Amino acid sequence: MLNKQLEIRQRFNVRMVCFFATTPVFLGLLLFQIMQLQWFEHEKYQLQSDQNRLNIIPLLPVRGEIIDAQGKGLAINHIDYRVTLIPERVKDLDATLHTLAHALHWTDDKVTLLHKRIKHTRPDRSVLLDDKLKWSDVSPLSARLHHYPGINVEAGSYRQYPFAELTSHIIGYLSLANAGDVDDGFLPSEFIGRTGIEKSFETSLHGHLGHQREEVDALGRRIAVINSKPSIMGETVQLALDADIQQAASDALGERTGAVVVMDVHSGGVIALLSKPGYDTNRFITGLESAQWQSWLNNPEKPLLNRATQAAYPPASTFKLVTGLAGLEHGSHLAEGSTFCPGYIEFSDRRLHCWKRRGHDSVNLHKALVESCDVYFYQLADQLGMGIISDTAQAWGLGEKTQIDLAPESRGIIPAQSPYMMAAIKNTQSRRKKWFRGETMITGIGQGALTTTPLQIARLAAAIANGGSILKPQVLAHTPAKVLHQVKVKPEHIQMIRSAMRDVVLSNKGTAHRALNKAAWTSAGKTGTAQVIKLSKNKSIDKDILRHHKDHAWFMGYAPYENPQIAIAVFVEHGGHGGSDAAPVAAAVIQAIATKQSRASDAQASNKHLIRKPGPDS
Amino acid sequence: MKRALYSLDWVLLASLLSLAALGLCVLYAAVYQGDMGLWQKQLIFWGAGMTGFLILCFVPLRFLGLVSWPMYSTGLLLLMLVPLIGDVHMGARRWLDIGFTNLQPSEIMKWAMMFVLASWFATREARGFVNIGAPLLLVAVPAALILSQPDLGTTLVLLFATIALLIAAGLPWRIFAAALVLGIASLPVLWHFMHDYQKQRVLTLLDPQSDPLGAGYHVIQSSIAIGSGGLFGKGFLQGTQARLHFLPEQHTDFIFSVLAEEGGLIAVILLLGLYATLISRILLIAQRAHSRFASMLCIGIASIFILYITVNIGMVSGIFPVVGLPLPFISYGGSALVTMLAALGLVMRVAIESHEKIPWQRPGSPLA
Repeated sequence: MLNKQLEIRQRFNVRMVCFFATTPVFLGLLLFQIMQLQWFEHEKYQLQSDQNRLNIIPLLPVRGEIIDAQGKGLAINHIDYRVTLIPERVKDLDATLHTLAHALHWTDDKVTLLHKRIKHTRPDRSVLLDDKLKWSDVSPLSARLHHYPGINVEAGSYRQYPFAELTSHIIGYLSLANAGDVDDGFLPSEFIGRTGIEKSFETSLHGHLGHQREEVDALGRRIAVINSKPSIMGETVQLALDADIQQAASDALGERTGAVVVMDVHSGGVIALLSKPGYDTNRFITGLESAQWQSWLNNPEKPLLNRATQAAYPPASTFKLVTGLAGLEHGSHLAEGSTFCPGYIEFSDRRLHCWKRRGHDSVNLHKALVESCDVYFYQLADQLGMGIISDTAQAWGLGEKTQIDLAPESRGIIPAQSPYMMAAIKNTQSRRKKWFRGETMITGIGQGALTTTPLQIARLAAAIANGGSILKPQVLAHTPAKVLHQVKVKPEHIQMIRSAMRDVVLSNKGTAHRALNKAAWTSAGKTGTAQVIKLSKNKSIDKDILRHHKDHAWFMGYAPYENPQIAIAVFVEHGGHGGSDAAPVAAAVIQAIATKQSRASDAQASNKHLIRKPGPDS
Repeated sequence: MKRALYSLDWVLLASLLSLAALGLCVLYAAVYQGDMGLWQKQLIFWGAGMTGFLILCFVPLRFLGLVSWPMYSTGLLLLMLVPLIGDVHMGARRWLDIGFTNLQPSEIMKWAMMFVLASWFATREARGFVNIGAPLLLVAVPAALILSQPDLGTTLVLLFATIALLIAAGLPWRIFAAALVLGIASLPVLWHFMHDYQKQRVLTLLDPQSDPLGAGYHVIQSSIAIGSGGLFGKGFLQGTQARLHFLPEQHTDFIFSVLAEEGGLIAVILLLGLYATLISRILLIAQRAHSRFASMLCIGIASIFILYITVNIGMVSGIFPVVGLPLPFISYGGSALVTMLAALGLVMRVAIESHEKIPWQRPGSPLA
């Protein structure tokens, strides 16, 4: 009995020892885990704790405005309210979106779209849900904002282009940051310049992001602002562009497709740069529907193409100035003498026609330019050869980028620049059999493979006016002239060309006489009519031919003749004839500039008068 | 009276009072930004609990032997009533509305079970088919009822305390080992019968990041709170996780993370040290107890404390799934605090009776 009791007691004691031993095991396990968290992984959790409690709200910068030379707004900002969402702070996305959709009158499609956008965004990045809201739209929402964690109502600004289509190609458009931009550190709700000035001067215009560091609780509610760094507004960019002149050019061009470039002949300042048709850049801000984008892309008139800088066309007779200059500089006796134009020229087995079938009788360089005789320039080009013509064209800034701050830009084509054509011209081994003599001849009148952009032609006009300085076209106002290079040309030669250009306007037989002679400013210029297809000799079908087979009309020139200020290039795609279709546009533009200047000087005079007035009295 | 004071276990009392002070400080920090009324209520609960503790210090243990069986029968009856007329709260049917308050029969059952098992093993060893089988049957019925409520936490407490008592009562190791193997083998079956939310808790434990804003949120946030506390803590009332409400249930089940965040590893070691002192003291009292019933009682109580502490801290720090057990003396909650203080009152009574050699049964009883 006693043994039995002793045995039980002993067994109990052993079990007690087990309990004493096990207790530290349990507590030790806990202590180990806590040490793991608090000691070895402390830094990681400290960071997570800070991330938990700190919310960094980006403060979007206001984009710099773009104004014209007179300070008129071309791209301005309007204050609006926008609703953004930080996905990771939203407890119930569907319910939140549903409430917002009700409050802000969204369509189901928009809700679906937003849902998709939110799913594709990093959960800690703010997503733009709706913008361009009025205070009356958001005020009921912002009063109840604490019910919707993760939702923010922010005052912001949206871009507006008061001139829309008129300035679309020079100003360009914006769109929301894409995945690539986000990798570069932009927020998905930031707008980035994609074309035109908006793109070229993106860094100045964009401004700098600010931020506000806030302490928030578990529901994302702000407890305190820890610090904040305000955003910095982008710089205002003033263009050399004059919206009034741009408007005048657009009015003159009307519904026709084409381009007008007006440049300051001394500074290279771009006073007008118009391409028609344009597109409404405001549509990009409101969220461009893909149907609209597709319709622009598929439109045969290519509204997205900047015809002034991105498209190159045969310069036609405007190029005769270059051929003429080449002849003068290279001492061609044809350039100093004259020839006979029977209305055509024959060589080997071919015959090339002058535009005037009756012929021009005896022609010298002056008459050939004024009346735009083709035969004269066929002969001159034939004598000079392709190499000289190409070199001269290149010297005058053709076949190279103008370096205008509006990328992308077309270089145009000068045949000799292309290795393929060079090989053909030199008649070396080539897939193409031969560079035909006739090809040099039609290049001499600006046809064939040769193409130039309207901007290059405007710059050529400016260079002739300013004595051979090839300028960088300056889109910004108050920018000193940048001479890219100076053409080596004898002053008397350039003067001969100028006087011929003057007679294009002045002389009764000049191709631009009718359009420009009565303008407020004296002007000099050259018309061009670029053949699109070889027309049959029977001209009676002229009226019936498709619009797309009509000739391109060109005019280039400068004004005033005596004291050149502006150079202009007008290009009307499938417009018909340079003299009758392009020159009147130039006339209207020059008229607008002249009127504006005289008004400005009148105003200045009367201002002076007002200031002077108190003088004698006192 | 003087003798009674002399026989008090001062170490037990000191560790209890230290825990009271620490607990009230931590609770103050936990409710500081919220409902300070909770802290005042807890103070009242402490007062009530300490009164119960003191009263039980003077109640002879033999009365416990008398009430244990009636208590068990009543508890079982009430448990069976729960599925019929119980109140549903947070997806579980655990409460009985008895007019002035809500009663949780599983809470009564937990203690009744322990008294019954202690008196069963007071005169028997856990050896032989009947001696092991009968108490297992006594546990199995209420355990099944509680598990079906569902209340995993209380079921675990019941099972854990039963195992501890079986071992204390001399359960042969080979049976224990066999049961352990069998238990582990039956885990997949258990999984099958688990509720979805319980399965989710287990899955969340295995990979909290799999659902960072859902079920894993609690564990992630409490781990962040504990980890960011570091060695010395963020300072009293300075815990950002607690202050900014990132912690779930921060005054009840997750209160440990408030302590760890604001007090750091130092405070954790202090708390665990107090618990170690308390538990080893209870075990020492069990060792020195004058009767086998008293030893069993103390061992049962100690095992419950160990389970509560381990499950709670393990859950908060991400070792165990989320099972709602309070942290003894620290978590807010009246009934848990009062019952735990009452249990300590019984332990203290054991200490007093052992010191004064008060017989708990008629002399000549075989296992006295």
